[in-house]
Amino acid sequence: MAVNLKKISGGTLSPDGSYRRRMLGWLTGVGLVGSGVFSAISNFVFIKPRTASGQPQRFSIGKPEDFPPGARMALGAQRIVVIREGNRLAAVSTTCTQLGCIVGLSDTGFACPCHGSRFDQDGNVTGGPAPRPLPWYKVSLTPNGEIEVDKDTVIQPGSYLSL
Amino acid sequence: MSPKKQPRLSLWTTLVELPRNVWSSIFRNPIPSNDLERSATSFTNFFLHIHPVKVHKNSLRPLFTLGLGLMSFFLFVILVVTGILLMFYYVPSTTQAYDRMLDLRGTVAFGMFLRNMHRWGAHGMVAVVFMHMCRVFFTGSYKKPREFNWVLGVILFLLTLFMSFTGYLLPWDQLAFWAITVGTAIAGYAPLIGKDIQFLLMGGTSVGQEALLRFYVLHVAVLPTVLTLFIAFHFWRIRKDGGLSRPAEADAIPALEFPEGSSVLEPHRTYGVQGLVRGPLHAAGKVPDNTVFSWPNLFRAELFVFVVTLSAILLLALLFDAPLEEPVNVMLPPNPAKAPWYFLGLQEMVSYSAFWGGIGVPGLFVFLLFLTPYIDRGSAGVGRWFARERLLANTIFLTFVIVNIVFVIIGTFFRGPNWAFVTPW
Repeated sequence: MAVNLKKISGGTLSPDGSYRRRMLGWLTGVGLVGSGVFSAISNFVFIKPRTASGQPQRFSIGKPEDFPPGARMALGAQRIVVIREGNRLAAVSTTCTQLGCIVGLSDTGFACPCHGSRFDQDGNVTGGPAPRPLPWYKVSLTPNGEIEVDKDTVIQPGSYLSL
Repeated sequence: MSPKKQPRLSLWTTLVELPRNVWSSIFRNPIPSNDLERSATSFTNFFLHIHPVKVHKNSLRPLFTLGLGLMSFFLFVILVVTGILLMFYYVPSTTQAYDRMLDLRGTVAFGMFLRNMHRWGAHGMVAVVFMHMCRVFFTGSYKKPREFNWVLGVILFLLTLFMSFTGYLLPWDQLAFWAITVGTAIAGYAPLIGKDIQFLLMGGTSVGQEALLRFYVLHVAVLPTVLTLFIAFHFWRIRKDGGLSRPAEADAIPALEFPEGSSVLEPHRTYGVQGLVRGPLHAAGKVPDNTVFSWPNLFRAELFVFVVTLSAILLLALLFDAPLEEPVNVMLPPNPAKAPWYFLGLQEMVSYSAFWGGIGVPGLFVFLLFLTPYIDRGSAGVGRWFARERLLANTIFLTFVIVNIVFVIIGTFFRGPNWAFVTPW
């Protein structure tokens, strides 16, 4: 330690105490800057919420009978569209992968009102600035016969749940 | 030695002299009638002492500055005053905010008028701050020693945009919700820290109550404080950098200005007080005095700009009502979902690519703006509009301005539902 201190202060110990003075100055500086950095980090920790509010990511959307074969039903609050083809069912996100607007159903698939991204029936990008296709979410049947969507689990596009 | 006898202060004389005594205790100087009093008025008055006692004639030319910097400041003052008044009735809650907007329109006395003033003042400030930046560029006023004040100015411009961005979530209408949804998503495209910034701004994963509260706090407390600090810094630097820029010939030394044998104006004498200030020294006698007293010349000009600014905002607020769209519907974005006009250039660029349009190109623009005075270092053509010596720099900047304006126009008038190209006629 002593060696280090001497290095920092230039290694001179003059009779007027300048060694000690420079040492104290250096420690004060480190202390102030350190406290500043520490408090800045603490502030960020403070304003970063520990729990996220908003919609639950796993939810039930009802019985399979609610979605007749051939249906493409948009659920606005959940931001998904439920697609049923015959005995197969899937849930596709309606949140545009570009900037988070909600895409609307169109004749050819989906269209975004904000910046004009377009997607086909399976959510693949067919035009506009969207960087990725619309994600498909995991769909499962609960023991009581309801359909559960898990928005935390993205699955391969085109994989349906067989009813 | 006995103390000199004081004249008796009777109650009557105290009462008679009371108004004058109170007045002179507040205002130390009479209305100035000579140069000494004119100086004293400038530097003993709290509100006036940030001004120099004397100001260069060139700084007072209306066509040189166009009063744009002052106008930005006065708009900020108007926004602070109207903003504080609006705070008396506003509640940053998703269930109440929109109703409060309707209250302002319906039941609060002058509510709509104050909201109009605040809205048009905000639009005006964005426009005027941008024009002020153009003025400073085209007159070459960011050159040495004013490089850092240009940097402060760019920071002020960005703070102004951020102020307006945080402000327009507050009405909690459709425009507010979807513009902030899009705006925070653009922030999410920033490399490395983008997602964290987005999360911090919204206080969650989507725009909701937490986001509204955060934007409110930023809009009414954090950003105004930061902005005030930077405005003070900006003004202080104007003084320390030797006032507004002016062409070299404005200070040229005319031959044989002084009568021979004049002892007062000895060509080598330097004023002591000015000697303490770093910067160009004004050697008395070497430099012709092209300055005039701030009282009344500068203050009259400032009052004029203030009256013009306030009148314009009052007139706009009387004639046009600030729009309020449908209440937030988180399931259905309006089609097309448009930001306010000054962000439509950005939105137009974003419609090509979220990263490049929202982060890459604007980031590069801002980076170049910051570096401008350190790249363009020639000293020719300072203090003149469109100086020929600065043809290249001015052309580049003009191109940048025009490109921005064209993008804003396309976004405003030529984009319809699904952001498809439409013609306005």
